[in-house]
Amino acid sequence: MADVESPMAGLLAVEDLTVAFGRGSSAAAALRDVSFALRRGETLALVGESGSGKSLTALSIMGLLPTEGQVSAGRVLLGGDDLLRKSRDDMIRTRGSRVSMVFQEPMTSLNPVLTIGRQLTEGLQFHRKVSRAAADARALDLLRLVGMTNPEARLKQYPHQLSGGMRQRVMIAMALACEPDLIIADEPTTALDVSIQAQIIDLLLDIKERLGTSILLITHDLGVVAEMADRIAVLYAGRVVEIADCLQLFDAPRHPYTEGLLAAVPRLDLLVADGADRIRLAELPGSVPSPGERLSGCPFAPRCSLAIERCSAEMPPMRTVAEGHTAACWVRAAA
Amino acid sequence: MTRFILRRLFTALVTLIISSFLVCMLIHLIPGDPVAMMMAQNSAPSPEQLAAMRHMLGLDLPLWQQYFHYMGRLLTGDLGRSIFGSEPVLTLLMERLPNTFALAFAGLAIAVGFGMPLGFFAAYHRGSWADSALMVFAVAGVSLPNFWLGLMLVLLFSMTLGWLPVAGEDWRSMVLPAMTLGVTYMAIIARMTRSAMIEVLGEDFIRTARAKGLPEGIVLFRHALRPAMISVVTIIGVVFGYLMGGAVVVENVFSWNGLGRLAIQAISYRDYPLIQGFILLFATIIVVMSVLLDVAYAWLDPRISVQ
Repeated sequence: MADVESPMAGLLAVEDLTVAFGRGSSAAAALRDVSFALRRGETLALVGESGSGKSLTALSIMGLLPTEGQVSAGRVLLGGDDLLRKSRDDMIRTRGSRVSMVFQEPMTSLNPVLTIGRQLTEGLQFHRKVSRAAADARALDLLRLVGMTNPEARLKQYPHQLSGGMRQRVMIAMALACEPDLIIADEPTTALDVSIQAQIIDLLLDIKERLGTSILLITHDLGVVAEMADRIAVLYAGRVVEIADCLQLFDAPRHPYTEGLLAAVPRLDLLVADGADRIRLAELPGSVPSPGERLSGCPFAPRCSLAIERCSAEMPPMRTVAEGHTAACWVRAAA
Repeated sequence: MTRFILRRLFTALVTLIISSFLVCMLIHLIPGDPVAMMMAQNSAPSPEQLAAMRHMLGLDLPLWQQYFHYMGRLLTGDLGRSIFGSEPVLTLLMERLPNTFALAFAGLAIAVGFGMPLGFFAAYHRGSWADSALMVFAVAGVSLPNFWLGLMLVLLFSMTLGWLPVAGEDWRSMVLPAMTLGVTYMAIIARMTRSAMIEVLGEDFIRTARAKGLPEGIVLFRHALRPAMISVVTIIGVVFGYLMGGAVVVENVFSWNGLGRLAIQAISYRDYPLIQGFILLFATIIVVMSVLLDVAYAWLDPRISVQ
């Protein structure tokens, strides 16, 4: 295995990932040539509107695409192994053990008829072949790690006895159970109250700090991104359009779509007064093309105010615009 | 959990009291003079005979008194005497009860024992040819009237193949009636299990279980089966009610010496005390069964059993 132990070595590399739905001529590409890399101990945020392919990217990495979806090209390298080439059984051994996932809906993502203890320990017992007692002890440690009060009692409780925030802590504890190298957090705070969101963000930051776990954070919430991410990859209509360090991206976005996305964030200091008493947010005109639409050029061209003729004819490649900053735009990232 | 069971037992008791009232009043719902109709078989009873019969049945008392009399006797286990044969109704019913129970539970065992695995299989292989074939079979099973199905089974297994007896008292003669009862309700249970499983398999927590890297067997049997069972158990309660009703028909088709045959005889002879006893016994059986199933339901679903 090409596992390198240096802290900032590459952990995950997604290369030219293309996912299509449907078969033959009716197949629609939902992801096209998606590429990004995640280093050990790093948090990379995948950002985009709903339908941009964020969750599909996550499910492709996990090998949990819905049956209608198919990876038609690309590689997903985790510590050197291509997950897309793994057998079903190998993939089962990888999931939950080397990569695990935290889902958006803590209310429905836990099994209502199994105790918290059972759901925390079953992965451990299967992947690590530990005894019931050892798994229980580990479950207690995990609950303490994610800041649950009264962990002994929690083990015997059922999900309906816990609040949304506590359930999300349990989900995170479950994801950490086998000490995976990578946690994919798919909108981990979206379904929670604002005050609980902050607690969960703090918890994820704390875990990353203490355990050095890499996090692939999937969100449309740029506030969460600003608090958690080291780097950001912006997805638009199934393509990566810009990747940069967090600060760099917020300060100097290069892709017109990223600019539009940042401008649409409600910020008290930047709200545009429109008329006497109405306040409007800047918005992007038009809507995201559907996966079925075949665009030969940049998918953002129809909505882009800077678009030139070349944009709708040819997809721009990702070009380096500054150190650690790449973007795909004929106008703003020209050679 | 204890509170849930107590509450459930209380509602069961209320249901039984209401049924006993309806059963007691049943005799007054019959058009015409029930006593005259009951005695019509003995050539033209005299007014004295009619009055004596009315008095014996307590029908000359005010309605509320009739009910209290009925309840009073009921509590001592006295359901009255059959008009024909004049044996105690309770004795007659208890003689036949084991036969009907054996038939009903064999039918239920076939329905659940085959219906649930078939529905489970169909749900997991949803959209496959096996799924479609099973569902066609299920629709057929629900649509075939059980007296017809019973006759066809007799024709095939008894008359043509000669494998099983047409009627009788031993276990071999129970196979056909139990199958007849079972197949119909197996179809219902298979369909319910299939749709419950399909719903559960689409739940977020199943995706979570897969994301944990659990093998498919654990995902299905530990994570999906129990939540799916919860809705199936509810249906088993309903099915059991139908099954008891179906048993009446099937017993008559196969001359199975159970309550159903007794009931048909009682009805054709207008033996009202026996009919009343039969209805009350059936109501009690169904109420008791539904309490048991609710307890099973609560046991399966921690959202009910854990306060």
